Amino acid sequence: MYVKKSDFKRRSILDTAYRLFRAQGFDKTSIAEIVGEVGGSKATIYSHFPSKEELFLECMMAAAENYMAGTLKHLGAPCADPGVALQDFGAGFLSFICSPEQLEVRRLRVAEAARSGTGRLFFEKISTLRAHVAAFLSACMAAGTLRADDADVAADHLGALLEAEILEPLLLHVREVSPEAEEIALAVKRAVAAFLRAYAPVANRGDRCEDARDDGASESLWRIPPEGEKESDSASDAVSAGT
Amino acid sequence: MRYPPGPEIQWWLFAGSFQLNCTHQSNPYSMKTKTEAKRLAILKAAADVFREVGFERASMSEIRARIGGSKATLYNYFPSKEKLFFEVMYHAKELELAGITHTLNPDADDLKGEVLHFGQRLLAALYSPDAIAIRRLAIAESRHSNIGKIVFEGATVPIEKQVAEFLRKGMKRGALRAADPKTAAMQLLSLLEAELLQRVLLGIVSSVKPEVLNSAARRAVETFLSGYGRR
Repeated sequence: MYVKKSDFKRRSILDTAYRLFRAQGFDKTSIAEIVGEVGGSKATIYSHFPSKEELFLECMMAAAENYMAGTLKHLGAPCADPGVALQDFGAGFLSFICSPEQLEVRRLRVAEAARSGTGRLFFEKISTLRAHVAAFLSACMAAGTLRADDADVAADHLGALLEAEILEPLLLHVREVSPEAEEIALAVKRAVAAFLRAYAPVANRGDRCEDARDDGASESLWRIPPEGEKESDSASDAVSAGT
Repeated sequence: MRYPPGPEIQWWLFAGSFQLNCTHQSNPYSMKTKTEAKRLAILKAAADVFREVGFERASMSEIRARIGGSKATLYNYFPSKEKLFFEVMYHAKELELAGITHTLNPDADDLKGEVLHFGQRLLAALYSPDAIAIRRLAIAESRHSNIGKIVFEGATVPIEKQVAEFLRKGMKRGALRAADPKTAAMQLLSLLEAELLQRVLLGIVSSVKPEVLNSAARRAVETFLSGYGRR
C-alpha cells in the first residue's frame, strides 16, 4: 500500500516539475515552487530525487526510456535479415524523436546543458540507449550478417542516418508539422538501405573492397589512407580530455 | 569556479565581420553612416561583454552602459541579447562555412580524399566554441525567435546544396553509385556529425582535439563511400 502511494507521489512530482521546467526553464524553477504545487515538503522531493539536476534529468528522460524500451524490442536477437529489425526499430525511433513533445525535450536539453551542467547526466542516459543498439549490431557482426567493425561507431552511424533527413528542420522550427507514419517509413527505408550497404558483409560486396584493389583505376579512388592507432583516435579521448 | 563556463568568443572571427561591415563607409556625415556607426559601436561593446563574461552572464544593461544612450535605442537596434550575440557571431561563421564548402572539387581524381578533407574542415569549423554556442542558441531559441530559421536557411541549406551538387557530379561521371544526390548529401553531413554532435551540444567536451575530429570524419566518410561506392 505504502509503495503505491510513494509511486503516486513520485509521478505527481515528475509531472509538475516537467510542466514547470518546460514553461520557465531550469534556473527559474525552484524546488520550493514544485513543493508549492505538489504539496508536502522539500524533504519529500529529496527523498525521491537527490538533486534538482537529477529531477530535471528524470523529467526529460522518463518518456524516452519508456518508449525506447518498447522500440528496442525490435532489436531483440540478430536475425537472418537485420534489415527487417532495423526498419521496425528505425520507424519507432524516428517517430518518437520527431514527436512535438520530444522535440521540445531535446531543445530544452540542449538549452540547459550549457547552463546547469546536466549535459553529462543526459549523455550517460543516451549512451545507455545507444549501447543496446550497439549490442544488436555487434551480434549481427558476430553472426556474419553485417561486416565486422566497431559496433559503437556503427550505432552512431545508424542513428545519424535515421536522423539525416527530417530532424533538423523540425528541431529549428523551420518545419512545424511532425511527419506522418508514411513519410517516416520512407525516410527510414533510405537510411537503413544506406546503412546496410555500408555495413554489408564483405563477402556480399565481392566486386568492391578487396577485389577492387587489384583494379588499378579504382585503386586511386578507393585507397584508404593508413589508419592511425585505434586507441589514440577514439572519441572517448575527447571525453576524458574535456571539461 | 565560474558558473557556468560561457562560450568563448574567438576574436579573429569578430574582427573579420567587423572589418567586413566597415567597408561600406563613405560619407561620414550621412544619416545612414551615423546609424551604421551606432550599430557597429553596439556590436563592438557587445562583443567585449560577451568575451568578458560569456553569453549567459552578459546583460543588455551592461552593454548599454558601455555605449551610453537609452535602453530603447539599444533595443531598437537589437531586440534581444540572443539576437545581438547572434549578430556578433553568426555572419563570420556563415562565411567560413561557405568558404569550406566551395572548395569541394567535383573533378578531383581522389574523390575520397576530397570528401575527407571537406569533412575534416567542416567539423573543425562546426565544433569551434563560438559555432557551438550559435548552434545551441539556434536550437534553444527556435521557439521564441527566427534564429533557428536563419541558421537553417543561411548555413544548413546552402551547405547541403553544395554537397549535393558535388555528389551529383560524382555520380554523373561514375565515381559514385547513381542515387538521389540530395538524400546522399544529407546522409553524408549527418554521418560526419554522428559521433560527436551529442557530446558537443550537451557540453561533454568543451573543445574537440583535431585528431579526434579527423578520425571521426574519416570513419564517417568510409561508411558513406562504402554505401555509395560503385558496385
